[in-house]
Amino acid sequence: MSTVVSAAQLSARRRLSNRRETVAALLFISPWILGFLIFTVWPVIYSGYLSFTDYDVINDPNFVGLENYVTMFEDPRIALSLTNTLIYTILSVPAHIIVALVLAMLLLRAARASGFFRTVFFLPKMTPAVAVGVLFLLLFNGQDGLINKVLRAIGLPAPYWTTDPFWVKPGLVLISLWAMGSSIVILLAALKNVPVELYESARIDGANLWQQTTRITVPMISSTIFFLVIINTIAGFQMFTEAYTAFFGSGNTTYSNDAALFFVIYLFQQGFEFLNMGYASAMAWLLFLVITIFTVVQFVVSRRLVYYEGDQR
Amino acid sequence: MKKSTLRWPILAVAGALLLTSCATGTGGQNDDDVDYDPDAELSGTINVLGFGAGDEIATTRIDVAEEALGDDVSVKLVEGDLDIQQLLSSIAAGDPPELIYANRDQIGSLAARGAILPLERCIDGEGIDTDQFVDSALEQVTLDGKIYGIPEFNVVQLTMANTSLLQAAGLGIDSVNGSDWAKVTAAATALLQGSGDEISVIGVDSKMPEFFPLWAKANGADLVSDDGRTANLNDPKAVEALDFAVNVYNVQGGFAPVKAFRDSADFFGAENQYASNELGSMWMEQWYVNVLNDVSPDATISFDTFRTPEGEPLAFASGSAWAIPAGSEAAAASCRFAKAMTATDTWMEAANARVDLRAEEGKAFTGLLTGNEDADAAIQELVTSTGSAQWDSAVEATYLANENTFSLPANPADAEFKKAWQDAANEVLTGDATAQEALDKAQDEAQDALDEAWAKFEE
Amino acid sequence: MTSTLDPTDAAARAAAPLAAVETAEAPRVIPPRRRTTRSRIARVVLYVVLAGCAVVFTYPFVWLVSASFKPRSDVFDNLLIPKNFTFENYLTIWQEAPIGVWLVNSAIVTILAAVTVTASSAMVAWGFAYFRFRGRGALFALVIGTMMLPGAVTMIPTFLIWNGLGATGTLTPLWAQNLFGSAFYIFLLRQFFLGLPRELFEAARIDGANNWRIFTRVALPLCRPALAVTLLFELQASWTDLMRPLIYLRDSDTFTVPRGLKSLLDQFGFGGEYHWEIIVTASVITTVPMIILFFIGQKQFVDGIATTGTKG
Repeated sequence: MSTVVSAAQLSARRRLSNRRETVAALLFISPWILGFLIFTVWPVIYSGYLSFTDYDVINDPNFVGLENYVTMFEDPRIALSLTNTLIYTILSVPAHIIVALVLAMLLLRAARASGFFRTVFFLPKMTPAVAVGVLFLLLFNGQDGLINKVLRAIGLPAPYWTTDPFWVKPGLVLISLWAMGSSIVILLAALKNVPVELYESARIDGANLWQQTTRITVPMISSTIFFLVIINTIAGFQMFTEAYTAFFGSGNTTYSNDAALFFVIYLFQQGFEFLNMGYASAMAWLLFLVITIFTVVQFVVSRRLVYYEGDQR
Repeated sequence: MKKSTLRWPILAVAGALLLTSCATGTGGQNDDDVDYDPDAELSGTINVLGFGAGDEIATTRIDVAEEALGDDVSVKLVEGDLDIQQLLSSIAAGDPPELIYANRDQIGSLAARGAILPLERCIDGEGIDTDQFVDSALEQVTLDGKIYGIPEFNVVQLTMANTSLLQAAGLGIDSVNGSDWAKVTAAATALLQGSGDEISVIGVDSKMPEFFPLWAKANGADLVSDDGRTANLNDPKAVEALDFAVNVYNVQGGFAPVKAFRDSADFFGAENQYASNELGSMWMEQWYVNVLNDVSPDATISFDTFRTPEGEPLAFASGSAWAIPAGSEAAAASCRFAKAMTATDTWMEAANARVDLRAEEGKAFTGLLTGNEDADAAIQELVTSTGSAQWDSAVEATYLANENTFSLPANPADAEFKKAWQDAANEVLTGDATAQEALDKAQDEAQDALDEAWAKFEE
Repeated sequence: MTSTLDPTDAAARAAAPLAAVETAEAPRVIPPRRRTTRSRIARVVLYVVLAGCAVVFTYPFVWLVSASFKPRSDVFDNLLIPKNFTFENYLTIWQEAPIGVWLVNSAIVTILAAVTVTASSAMVAWGFAYFRFRGRGALFALVIGTMMLPGAVTMIPTFLIWNGLGATGTLTPLWAQNLFGSAFYIFLLRQFFLGLPRELFEAARIDGANNWRIFTRVALPLCRPALAVTLLFELQASWTDLMRPLIYLRDSDTFTVPRGLKSLLDQFGFGGEYHWEIIVTASVITTVPMIILFFIGQKQFVDGIATTGTKG
């Protein structure tokens, strides 16, 4: 026996189940919401307030209006550190992705041993960033470092990675590659997802390895590549510990290098060495703005370049 | 969303607001209500930030200090260098450590912001004799006429040259101790071996950028006025000094290759640059003498103080100091602790402990620079001969240097000031600017920072 | 067809392949190849290259380990086998620093951090993946947005909050924020959940399961590999974190390993007596437990990621 349900009753029922669905969803999401309100919203508001003050932590904040922002425009180090950070990010993100991709592809073909190698590649992430900074100074030393010894043995030019302003950033990019294990893991998972049949038919059609890679592999995993680009860009903008230890560490050497003055390092100096917390807060907001712009641009560009598989939710 | 579901998020934010507004800094608080009485019984806990009890010099003195404090006081050392983030966080929370151990060149800005207490009342109350401290050390911790730190330790520089290399080049110690700048430059080229990627011996290392104040002062320039208000970085004599010191590298092929080779030296090992004849001469802090003596006692090294172009000994003094954060809850105990740690008798006990230790190891006691003149003089009596003229001369040079020290007076923008001249030196080293350009720029930056900081201090 | 830019959608689809890591997709089978000499050579070359990379990746560790067995004067002699082998450094460290305590503290914090973040992020991710509600896209965009916030912005105010709660000086602030999930893992896990077929959930619902049961009995077990990845990444992040211990911890008995390492570095390294052999040994002690854990957990990891049929 069927019940005749009126249109009004139907839509009422839908609204009720919508309401229930919403409440259930929010219950599941509630931990994040709570954390967001307490540990994100409030600190963000407070730091926004601080950016309009002169604050040295020791004494109460002192409202100064837009002064910090005006100073930022006039501060040559802001432009310098921002440029340094941009260059570093532009160098390191493609380097990361390409090298990680190559290694992941190699791992893919290694079948049995891939588990072992994958763990080996992930291990360096266990090294505290401070140690990485120290290692950089040791391995990349212009005269005696291992890297240059190898380069000279092969007959390649061996630059002064730690002192030549031109080579400082590439050197840091290289050492950051050492810790790219997580990108390799993620890419490997994505590579495994590419249907084998595509390669099969390409091979039958006579495509060589390069064509297979560029025409099949890369497009098929482009969504993962995109994810990694976003993540690594955000990380690149926040580069701090390794460079700080190597070039600005408090005790080791007073020799610093303007080429390694990254934005977060300068922020840290302003906030914790010069005790200009208000200015540092303003700087943090500038960084946030820059990162957001970059990310939005990347998303817009991705619409053309990235292939999405199914799931159009 | 129902109103009720909005309620608790609002409460959460309000709660956070409340908690954070409860915490404000401690700046500007004073110790007018603290009673500093050397005979009073004290109790409580003092958290000491920035001091590490590494060796017998430290542990002996801590024992003495704890005794002076009595049984009711417990001393907790938070080991590790003074970390400024840690300090700031605790101040922001209104819960600063009771005592800090800082580098003397940090005292100025901490004092200017009211982070640490002026120690007048502590000094009067507990009866600390400030005359006993080395003058330049005390100057470093005095801002606007008030003392903000109790000095501890003194570090000076010495000339350390490789005797065999000098002899092979027909040079004497006076060519490389700074008493004649032309000779220094000549020695640099004479002692240098190799070039570019292939340097095998560094001729002379003028230790830039660290030693710039020393070079400037040797030439007669004071980088900042005595009252700490006026920067003097582009004084023509300072420019001259910077030019000279950088040029020492340039005649050897430039700073980059020299530094690369210098960095690769096994500084603390048996194959250090003296033992393996990789360095002609450099100036270095006096504690390195002990290292060299330890790991390569047979190396032939000539020692002297750093000399001005007039041939006079000179050293740039640096070291640590005890300071009491504003808002410290045990200022009286902290004061007594600092007094005990730096008292002449305490230093004597520590020195004797080291003498005994060295005797057990079959080694000589090479002295100790305490920052306390009376203690220094007394300890010098305890110095035993190492049995070798070379190492004895090092000790002599150390004490001579200690009697001829200078320092940069405290100023409220010490971090910015230091950065300004360091950056200038670095720019000239990498060839990005001339000495005049770099120091002009640094002068502007430093003076701006000083003006701002003094203005705030006076508010 | 979405014509407006919806960052969450794009981001969601961006990581879709992650979601399909191990579900019941068509198993990947490597077609059998004829074992020609050419392919054998190719295989050898492959392994050589991989081995070479492995050497590059592990050399710094090997250097550290070998240096830790050298006396102070030999630390930088770059010999792989120590000339004068000695255990002295390890003994000294054990005496000089409460490394045992530090390891325990690190273990507590790391485990708590990893477990809580996995649990809470899974919950939140499920909320975003399974349910459909108005404002879902906007809310998720907010989650992504928080990933772009530089840590410096929130550091001091967050400190003040914890201090107001009286938690400074304890280990709590080092992990407790993970109770509220973390954007990166929420993102990751949500992608994963989105890849699961809805029929499974409908079936469970018909069987009378409520939302919580569906989550815990159906969804969670299916996404074990993604949970494993989350756990692993957070273990690594928490183990190596220095910033939080630096501002929250005061008493050396509460230090975690990186914080302890820094105080050793200050005392014996840069700021102090330059006992590099101590620094190096401390670095080994702090890195090795994680490495061991990794190799043990590798099996889980491998099982998780590679269930789709690659031989081995």
